[in-house]
Amino acid sequence: MTSVVPGRAARVVQGVGALVADLEITRAWLVDPGAGREGPGEIVVTNGVLEAVTWLEGAEATGVDATGIVVAPGFLDLHAHFREPGNEDAETVATGLAAAARGGFTAVCVMPNTTPALDEPSVLARILAAAATSGSPVTLLAHGAVTAGRSGEGLAALGELADAGVVGFSDDGAPVRSAALLRNALAYAGMLGLPIVDHPEDPTLTGGAEANEGLIATVLGLRGWPGAAEVSAVARDIAILAEVLADVPGARLHLTHLSTAASLDLVRRAKSADLPVTCDVTPHHLALSDEWLAGARRWAWEALADDGAARDPWRDGAITAPPFDPSLRVNPPLRSASDAAACLVALGDGTADAIATDHAPHTEVDKAVEFGLAANGISGIETALGVVLAAVDAGRLSLATGIAALTTGPARVLGDRAPGGGSAVRGLIEGQPANLVVFDRSATWRVSAEAIASKGKNSPLLGRDLPGRVLLTVAGGRIAYEAPE
Amino acid sequence: MTVDPGLAAPPEVIDEVAMAVQDTDSDEHPAPAGRWAHRHLLDVDGLTSDDLDLVMRTADTMGQVLARPIPKVPALRGWGVTILFYEASTRTRVSFEVAAKNLSADVVNIAATSSSVAKGESLIDTVRTVEALGARMLVIRHGTSGAPYLAAEHFSGSVLNGGDGWHAHPTQALLDLYTLRARLPGGTVAGRKVVILGDALHSRVARSNLWSLTAAGADVWVCGPATLLRGFEAWAATGIAGSRRFTVTSDVAAALRDADVVMALRIQRERMASGLLPSLREYAARFGLTRQRLAAAKPDALVMHPGPMNEGVEIAPDVAAGGQSVITDQVANGVAVRMAVLFLLAGARGGAE
Repeated sequence: MTSVVPGRAARVVQGVGALVADLEITRAWLVDPGAGREGPGEIVVTNGVLEAVTWLEGAEATGVDATGIVVAPGFLDLHAHFREPGNEDAETVATGLAAAARGGFTAVCVMPNTTPALDEPSVLARILAAAATSGSPVTLLAHGAVTAGRSGEGLAALGELADAGVVGFSDDGAPVRSAALLRNALAYAGMLGLPIVDHPEDPTLTGGAEANEGLIATVLGLRGWPGAAEVSAVARDIAILAEVLADVPGARLHLTHLSTAASLDLVRRAKSADLPVTCDVTPHHLALSDEWLAGARRWAWEALADDGAARDPWRDGAITAPPFDPSLRVNPPLRSASDAAACLVALGDGTADAIATDHAPHTEVDKAVEFGLAANGISGIETALGVVLAAVDAGRLSLATGIAALTTGPARVLGDRAPGGGSAVRGLIEGQPANLVVFDRSATWRVSAEAIASKGKNSPLLGRDLPGRVLLTVAGGRIAYEAPE
Repeated sequence: MTVDPGLAAPPEVIDEVAMAVQDTDSDEHPAPAGRWAHRHLLDVDGLTSDDLDLVMRTADTMGQVLARPIPKVPALRGWGVTILFYEASTRTRVSFEVAAKNLSADVVNIAATSSSVAKGESLIDTVRTVEALGARMLVIRHGTSGAPYLAAEHFSGSVLNGGDGWHAHPTQALLDLYTLRARLPGGTVAGRKVVILGDALHSRVARSNLWSLTAAGADVWVCGPATLLRGFEAWAATGIAGSRRFTVTSDVAAALRDADVVMALRIQRERMASGLLPSLREYAARFGLTRQRLAAAKPDALVMHPGPMNEGVEIAPDVAAGGQSVITDQVANGVAVRMAVLFLLAGARGGAE
């Protein structure tokens, strides 16, 4: 039983996995991207079901705004790495789900680059069993591998994986290197009604690459990862899709973690030609930029000159930390401030369908090493909301767009394979099992190794205060996370 | 200069060197440079022009020490200096070793291939081990850009970057600046046209010299084949630290015309394998520093090379050994400059503790 505190989220005080018997949140700011609506309102959850969503009008709504308690549908992450099986010292399904809940996510789609790779149903069964054992109510979804063993040669057991319930296919961590194989995969997966989720990168341009090719890499003497390696791969993928569609109308392409203005432009054009292409951007690519490698620590939008180009952190005196922090090594690399701005524009105009975290936890052994030897990836599922809210606070993104990109946007990418046939993340729908996140925009929290539930402490945001403290995450009507008092 | 009273060196020796530093060129420096405030020497971009002056003047003093019959002072007596090199090197490693020994430091050399590094020990572990074994200063060379920053984070003493990846080679830039100030008429590089010729893309020497030479007011030109200048045009347009412009070109004749200094860079053979150059022969023909090409420079233009040289490729043997070459000066000055840097870092730490 729950006490109700007006204007505040009530504490539920039950363990993870417990059914939310009775929860009422009054005078909060509701964001319902499914209904395209946000405003003052109240919700009631009874026996795990979202019983009532009430929008307040007139005098009742006075004093309730978007700067306090916010209630939104639980988030859906299209792209995370939980490292199980094979690298459980970096993350497990249980710790990954706990981290997801801490970040406000009620459903997570994991990538198949485990050891062994998720290229046949038994690996999927294994992680689904781990999720069940964890007791977390957060929904675990998975992409299957495109190629057997992610070797890039020969298709994985796509049909069997589809039957077993994967939501898409990806060789993420690497692109589908062979264009011929990608063509086959798009057709075969299209026949199964599932998307190919490609990590677009031309590896012949990125061998040994350490950082975005540009001024920062030039000055720091880091091997460049040119934007053209992503742009050319995106162009290749779209061109192949366009032809496959003639034979397989169900073929679909999702491009993950797009990071350059030019590749987002290609997707924009493909969408305007009605091609079934979707894409996501990550929190770090929209809010951080490559100047962080030099030791700058300002948000990407603060590093933007009036003409839209990236500012020079050396000229600005913006360098406040030592250079070469290995927690910033990620693939694709952090790009220029203008690319980051393009990611935000793409979310605003619908070119980018989703914000996906690319949560990539690593052990200290793999990360606390020389920059060029550090494993690629940022542990980001718990900081995603805060980073998005920082962009909102800076006026670079609307709250509605940011929340939609974490909920309805990714649900549309998954279509009928989204949780609950998609309904679970389509908004605040009365009568459905409650999938909610409640956060306090007036409260900040300090990112720290202790504050992060993930085993991966590899965040460049450690020590930074982020807006929007998650108070409560409810998944499938059950407690997924509740903040300590 | 404040020094640690716990130093093993007799204070009068430190004072002697410190006084000499203060007195040198005092007429030319009416506003004396401030004290050395850096715990580490990881890069050149953090050095102010006062810092550069202080290193130069301290190196002058060390040069006087080197001119003595017994070129040795007890400034760092009892100090453990570990030289940890993850890349093969003769010149820089020996130069640091001689410099540290001239200051009476206890020097330990670690070649990474012959230590537990080869067994997979991490850099952090190695640094902690080196410290536990008594090192107070660590000179590190590493093939990965930025590695000395990681070492500095886990070492309680001072870290000197002996060259990291393509990123920085601060003592080379300092000894180059010292050599130029010693050899150029007027003792300054300000306004002088300095050409860095060759593989700038892969060169930590080029990057560090860009910072120091532009800080000292030189008109720096970077010249080489387009494949080995990738990204430099954008840097030149932005300028070093957003303001200090330099010129990038593949036109050797334009670069060398009326140059005061030409610094040739080493060409690595693996550049051919990665398709950056057709052949060494073609490189030598188009970009090699020959007597004929050098004729376009000023008659007394200085020729430099950080070594080791591929004679007949980036530099012709008669140019390397010719009257305009200051390449052996660079080597000799390297010892004085490294003594200066070791001395200043020891003093800064002593003062801070």
